[in-house]
Amino acid sequence: MTKTAFNISWQVLLLWLVFRLGTFLVALLHLSLPGNVAGMLIMFLLLASGAVKPSLIEEGGGFLLKHFAFFFIPISVGLMTFGDLMRQSGAALLLVLTVSALVGVAATGISVELLQGRSSR
Amino acid sequence: MNLLLSASLILLTLGAYLATRRIFLAYRHPLLNPVFLSTVVIISLMKLTGYSWDDYQPAKEVMTFLLGPATVALALPLYHNRSLLRRHAPTVLAGVAAGSLTTMAAALVAGRLFSLGDTLLLSLGPKSVTVPIAVEISRLCGGEAPLTAAFVVATGMLGSILGPGALSLLRVKHPMARGLALGTVSHGQGTAVALMESETAGAMSGVAMALAAVFTAFIAPYYLPLFLR
Repeated sequence: MTKTAFNISWQVLLLWLVFRLGTFLVALLHLSLPGNVAGMLIMFLLLASGAVKPSLIEEGGGFLLKHFAFFFIPISVGLMTFGDLMRQSGAALLLVLTVSALVGVAATGISVELLQGRSSR
Repeated sequence: MNLLLSASLILLTLGAYLATRRIFLAYRHPLLNPVFLSTVVIISLMKLTGYSWDDYQPAKEVMTFLLGPATVALALPLYHNRSLLRRHAPTVLAGVAAGSLTTMAAALVAGRLFSLGDTLLLSLGPKSVTVPIAVEISRLCGGEAPLTAAFVVATGMLGSILGPGALSLLRVKHPMARGLALGTVSHGQGTAVALMESETAGAMSGVAMALAAVFTAFIAPYYLPLFLR
């Protein structure tokens, strides 16, 4: 138990350092890219190149990913300042979200199905 | 600020999360999404007791501190599925790009038909991308982070409820196509549904979710303004 907690803690610290590195590089190079995306790409490169073994971050990373959704809750609570907007445009927004989700699902689904059908025949 | 209040709000948020997570794990229905349910519970309780967003904000800062490292950890599932990605790279990339570009275009064009303002349209732009990345893209492009977060969660629910049926209706049967479609549009929530369909669909959906986030992050600052007046 204590060992797990200890492992998770320092592995999360390691992930945090990569996150900070991503944020730093994006600012340094004036990229219009979120720092967390840069951090994720750096982490992927570290793993893919073999510089970092996945076991080095698996416990901490797994813990954060398991509870990934938790972090979205405090951000969503910020919605409470948009009550008027939701009352005014809520229905329109729901329709926009539904239509655009279906368009995207159809676009990916159909294009991949066609590409797959061609390659497997 | 007020330390005791912030501590209570953190406990409330944690409690809401753990309770709604149990409910979701018991029934596994997209409408029982823990983020959606928790947000409703927390906002209702705060409105009832007369607290405002300003009271909650310090607690939010503490709770989202680990969101950065959590997002970096998304590299792990992508790494584990790298052979799948390498084997089907052209198809995967084409599928993810097609879904990301069309869903953004559809959202902004439909939004303009309803004469939604530019801030709202820009907040809608990255709604198919996982929350932490969508929120940052939204900030970079001039949208509102909480709105984007809400749109992302709603899109996750809509896509995971309507997606599988729509795909069947369109006769999309290949697990790879279904997984990529669900992950591209409905990120983590879509991936959860894809995992229930099959292992291939689930793995593909996870790959799509990560790639759609990266793709959208790179393209959105140039692509979204094309749809504003």
